Amino acid sequence: MTWLKKQISKELWSPYAAGVLLGIVGILTVILAHALLGASGGFENIAAYIGKALSPGNTYFNYIMPAKITYPVVLLVGIFFGGMLGALSSGTFKFRTMDDEQWKTAYGNQKWKRWLLLFVGGIIVEFAAGIAGGCTSGLLISGGMLLAPAAFLFMAGMFASGILTALVVYGKKY
Amino acid sequence: MTLMTYVLALVLGVFFGFALNKAGLTRYTKIVNQFRLTDMTVMKFIMTALLTTMVGLFPLKMMGIIKFPAIPATYVVGNLVGGLVFGVGMALAGFCPGTAVAGGGEGKWDYIVPGLLGFLAGAVIFGLSYTSFMPQLVKIANYGGVTLPELWHINPYLAVFVFALLSLALFYLIDRMGWQRKQK
Repeated sequence: MTWLKKQISKELWSPYAAGVLLGIVGILTVILAHALLGASGGFENIAAYIGKALSPGNTYFNYIMPAKITYPVVLLVGIFFGGMLGALSSGTFKFRTMDDEQWKTAYGNQKWKRWLLLFVGGIIVEFAAGIAGGCTSGLLISGGMLLAPAAFLFMAGMFASGILTALVVYGKKY
Repeated sequence: MTLMTYVLALVLGVFFGFALNKAGLTRYTKIVNQFRLTDMTVMKFIMTALLTTMVGLFPLKMMGIIKFPAIPATYVVGNLVGGLVFGVGMALAGFCPGTAVAGGGEGKWDYIVPGLLGFLAGAVIFGLSYTSFMPQLVKIANYGGVTLPELWHINPYLAVFVFALLSLALFYLIDRMGWQRKQK
């Protein structure tokens, strides 16, 4: 029992162990909720409150992703607390910003730069998820586990441009 | 939505976020180093998760015990272009929507404030521009909610088996044959 507790409270698990846990969550999601996992969809539902205020007759926010507290929105709340629980279990929970050393070597120490890049990155990622029909969770993992070709097309695109972007950001240090 | 669905979504979300935290995917370094090919954690984590779920779900479906929920639609150009744009943002910021939310739970409030505002802004921009290009884009090479075994008319068990072989071969190449770049 103490052994198990010690394993669970480790800050980092083997990616295989964490992957099996996510896989089991995937199985249970389909069997119990008859749904899939996802993250970007929940943001679309929340954004719909803003979108409808800006453009009341908008098709997308009225009919496709309505302003409602949907299953993906609640999932997001769960993901938030899951991250918290994980950090608490390893004693790493802490209010912080700029905690990543490699970030500083890549972009420097300026806080405004990090905030700007996270904001811009957030826009790009969420807009792209809209085009693709989901993000890493809702399309790559959820589609991939059902062997949907969409997931693997998305994965190929994501890796190709991700590698290229890292090359540009890191230059000689890539 | 019934109360039960809310509770279920919350519990499933907690385990999902917990797995993201334990895999270390809530860190900029882990995400960007996957794209630098100096740390293959993201790949190992995703492929293991896919394989585990497939092995659990496909037999249940084949035996008629469960039905799959709506399968994410395949529209070749949109899926691919979306992935291409997505990779740029993910490699720049070092997060994706799921890992940012889980990271926010760990206390990284720059994930929550600029990150979350970015997602919301991206979603608003997408929703407002939706009718101007998406209906046309979705029409190109659209196969609907299809799976690879259905599309290629192969036995689902065989497809899962081949996926398992490919994943295990990939893990072997990474862990035993050093298919990972050294960090500079």
